[in-house]
Amino acid sequence: MAVQLFYFLSALAVLSALMVVFSRNPVHSVLYLILMFFCLTGHYILLNAQFLAIVNIIVYAGAIMVLFLFVIMFLNLKTDAEKGQPPLMKFIAVISGGLLLVVMVSILSKVSNMEAKKEGFDSQIGLVENLGKVLYKDYLLPFELASILFLAAMVGAVMLGKREAGERHF
Amino acid sequence: MPPPTKNCPVAVKNNHVQNIKPASFLDLRVLFFILQKAIIILSKLLAFSKKSYLCKLRNIFHQKMLSLILLSVFGITNLFLGFLRQRNIVLFASMAFTFITLVVSWLDMNGTLITFDASLNGGMMANDKLSTSFAFVMLLTALLIFPLSTHYLKDKEAQPAEYYAILMFSLVGALMMVSYKNLIMLFVGVEILSISMYVLTGSDKHNVKSNEAALKYFLMGSFATGILLFGMALLYGAVGAFTTEAIQTYVSANKVVDSPMAFLGFSMMLIGILFKISAAPFHFWTPDVYEGAPSLFTAFMSTIVKTAGIGATLKFVTLFGFIPLGASWYPAWYKGVAIVVILTLAIGNITAVYQSSFKRMLAYSGISHAGYLLMAVLALSPVSSVKAILFYTLAYSVATVAAFGGLMAVAGNKRKEEYAYFNGLGKTNPFLALSITISMLSLAGIPLTAGFFGKLFVFLSVFERGLYFLVVVAVLMAAVGVYYYFRVIIAMYMREGNNEPVQVSSGTIATLLIANILTIALGIAPDLWLNWFM
Repeated sequence: MAVQLFYFLSALAVLSALMVVFSRNPVHSVLYLILMFFCLTGHYILLNAQFLAIVNIIVYAGAIMVLFLFVIMFLNLKTDAEKGQPPLMKFIAVISGGLLLVVMVSILSKVSNMEAKKEGFDSQIGLVENLGKVLYKDYLLPFELASILFLAAMVGAVMLGKREAGERHF
Repeated sequence: MPPPTKNCPVAVKNNHVQNIKPASFLDLRVLFFILQKAIIILSKLLAFSKKSYLCKLRNIFHQKMLSLILLSVFGITNLFLGFLRQRNIVLFASMAFTFITLVVSWLDMNGTLITFDASLNGGMMANDKLSTSFAFVMLLTALLIFPLSTHYLKDKEAQPAEYYAILMFSLVGALMMVSYKNLIMLFVGVEILSISMYVLTGSDKHNVKSNEAALKYFLMGSFATGILLFGMALLYGAVGAFTTEAIQTYVSANKVVDSPMAFLGFSMMLIGILFKISAAPFHFWTPDVYEGAPSLFTAFMSTIVKTAGIGATLKFVTLFGFIPLGASWYPAWYKGVAIVVILTLAIGNITAVYQSSFKRMLAYSGISHAGYLLMAVLALSPVSSVKAILFYTLAYSVATVAAFGGLMAVAGNKRKEEYAYFNGLGKTNPFLALSITISMLSLAGIPLTAGFFGKLFVFLSVFERGLYFLVVVAVLMAAVGVYYYFRVIIAMYMREGNNEPVQVSSGTIATLLIANILTIALGIAPDLWLNWFM
């Protein structure tokens, strides 16, 4: 059952990821992206990583997607306003993207030992208690330093977004 | 300074601050002293506790972390100093902070500042000579760059406290990139450095070019980060761990053909890092971003970001190409990197010839210097190429800072950086002309300057590895480089110009003097630097 569910979720995730790129309407893209995040959440639940699953829903499908939709509505994008790329650029993009795809498929198809290691596997590894232990014991330093990253980003955002004297109000 | 009025509390406060200037400096010094002691006492207290969180925190203090913590705390302090009306304090404080960090990171290398149980290694940061030397180069460069920013102190729209704070945060990222022992640290370091740079690139809000550069840098950088992360995930999938030891063990235990996923991950991660040092063919963002960003931050980007990137590349590549090379994956990837080196050298040097803007020329010259540095990385001999890279980064950083300092003085408020601005500078301001000349000579690699020995050491290390073809290409490209560096010198001394005389601020004079003295000292006695650290 779990295997079928895995394949179903994976196929749905890939399909909706493709639709994000291919759909012409940006709002549809965002909706497909949300669908893809839900598929990923399903994967996390299959892996018994409940905390990650919930955080994925809250942060990505919740907060970030709302931000996306807000920006799209703010910019008022129209499908007909979109200018196409020149054909040469399209050609180059297709060639280089296709090359990357061919290389990756050819390399990853040679990967043989992809079975999961059953011995020593702890089904509780993804639970929030274990996650917290790992985060605050082994990865404490990067965890703390990530706050510097956010601080720098925050200071930068305030610095760039601050209204200057003489600028108009919205 | 407007005369203080009784109705205006701001002016009164302003006056007040200026009156007690000596005392406030004393206070600052006392503050540093207390801060330092507080950290030491705090960490010693932590050493006695046995709880896991505190234990780990204690390790952070030991494992080279003191400089990271100091930089972070000082950055936050800087933000608060921005409330002061007296903007000079922020500049002096930032320089003092950077200097303290420099001293601390130097003392901390031998573990003499705070000694802890080394067996409780957090395993996240290396505390070796290599990372300390890179940290030294970067912090020294930052110290040289800060005095160039005096024009921000007078500019009403600029926010120097925020700029310095973000620069300090970005230094945290840079230190992480050169001393990581876990790929997570590399990633967080790259992100801290990049995000700070995106912001600073766009800090000139009313300049369309700056906005465009920031957006371009952000979009391209995000894609590069995505590729880096994708590669990291593949590598993790193959190795099962993020630590450098585990990766090295995996590489020595497996052949390339048996582990395609790890090799794909390695390649993608390498591409992500090479983007940051703007090696061709991942260099397309460089000229526009370097030109659009305010010159101060361009100087920062082309020196510190490049040094951090090359340090990260060296450490990362060493995992996959350790000695003996036959046992590692070196034969599988060195040709690809050699192609990148040749492309970088050719594109950087040849395109630089056609530039009419001095700043854009410096951007392309930055690309070409990334090529020389990458060449030494490719040589990958444990002693000579590490020495060459350390020497070259110092020589290049110092000369580039001097060049940008000269450019900022000459271009002033004009938003273009044409060669024509340099016409006749040799007569109107001989000191500035001489220092730009010295930095250009060093970048070109003329003997008796640091740049010559930098190139020499790089070529020797590549020669040792037996990649003769690369040396030939690099020497040819260095000859091309002489052409465009000398264009500036010719403009300054041989062209007649009717530009106004250039005013140079005292901060710029100090930077130029120190940078030029260092350039010549390293050019006369290169062992000075090599024996000091290595």
